[in-house]
Amino acid sequence: MALHLKDKEAYQRLNYLYQAAHCVLAQNPENVELARFYCFSQKTIAKRLVLRQDPSVKRTLCKRCCSLLIPGVTATTRQKRNKTRFTVMRCLSCGQRKTLLNNPDYCLWADR
Amino acid sequence: MLQTVMAAPGKPTKKEIKKQTPAKTSFTSPFASKWSPLPQEDMHFILKTLKDKLISMGLEKKEVKVFRPWRKKKSKKPDVAPQPVPQVSDSSKNGWTDVAARRQLAIGINEVTKALERNELRLLLVCKSVKPKHMTNHLIALSTTRGVPACQVPRLSQSVSEPLGLKSVLALGFRWCSSSDGGVFTDTVDAIKLRVPTLDMAWLQGAKPEEPVAMEEEEGGERRGQKRKLESESEEVSESPSCTLQPLQVKRIVANPAKKKKGKPKKKL
Repeated sequence: MALHLKDKEAYQRLNYLYQAAHCVLAQNPENVELARFYCFSQKTIAKRLVLRQDPSVKRTLCKRCCSLLIPGVTATTRQKRNKTRFTVMRCLSCGQRKTLLNNPDYCLWADR
Repeated sequence: MLQTVMAAPGKPTKKEIKKQTPAKTSFTSPFASKWSPLPQEDMHFILKTLKDKLISMGLEKKEVKVFRPWRKKKSKKPDVAPQPVPQVSDSSKNGWTDVAARRQLAIGINEVTKALERNELRLLLVCKSVKPKHMTNHLIALSTTRGVPACQVPRLSQSVSEPLGLKSVLALGFRWCSSSDGGVFTDTVDAIKLRVPTLDMAWLQGAKPEEPVAMEEEEGGERRGQKRKLESESEEVSESPSCTLQPLQVKRIVANPAKKKKGKPKKKL
């Protein structure tokens, strides 16, 4: 596939940034800024080259402040219910909420 | 065009079909957070121990099914005379039989998460038959960051909810307790703790000083000209590890040709 070559480097960059953000938070849980910067770069690269990201990756990034969300360190996760059950993740730095519906039959498009 | 064998005139060839439904590449997370597999005997052992313990304790949440007529029950003044239903029946009937023991457990995902955030738990049990999985996925990372053993047991909910009298128990945590209260669950906890396999996160491993030997060699090689004191200091400070880089994982999705309609994406949910 011709697609491979020119974007492969970009994917590697994305991959590296993502893992680097994790490592940063692993070593220094207080240094949210650096992790945020890495994730911001990652998002910008993906946006620039229009690269798709897996929902599993997108779910761990905050949409507003672009920080890497790790439950317990930078984000809180709760179960709520309003007729249906939600899993709500709150980013601690900007307070942005991300709700995930708890539907047992839900199948992501990506896994189709 | 390429040389192709036309099956029938007008019918697109295989190669063209493939191009019509392009494969989309998407960047996938290199970390797949998985629970470590629990061997069967351990699982049975854990379930059995828990069940016996709970039954012997008689810890149960009793809810008296009270028939509530549709009225505003908020006014508890004695003026409101006709209370057909004995509202305050026996306060001992409603609720948990053993309050002190209940305090030592954290039951339910929210409670367990809160306790984990405050580092109150020493053992964590999670039910495996949870759908969708992201309801409990956050617990994995949380517990590994705090060094609390945790494991997934498939039938936790079914076996534990009965003795406890709850509908479903997806997460169970045992708190650290001072020796005054404790002792109720301590032996169970210790017994189970031994059987629990360790959880690892790929990115977390690097933070622990795993291979000081390798690091020393590297550091020594790099800074030869420096004094020994500096070397040893720098080694101590930068225990920074080489988090090994996970290989790039790129997922390829082929759009399903059968589902190609114009208003497609709406009904995916």
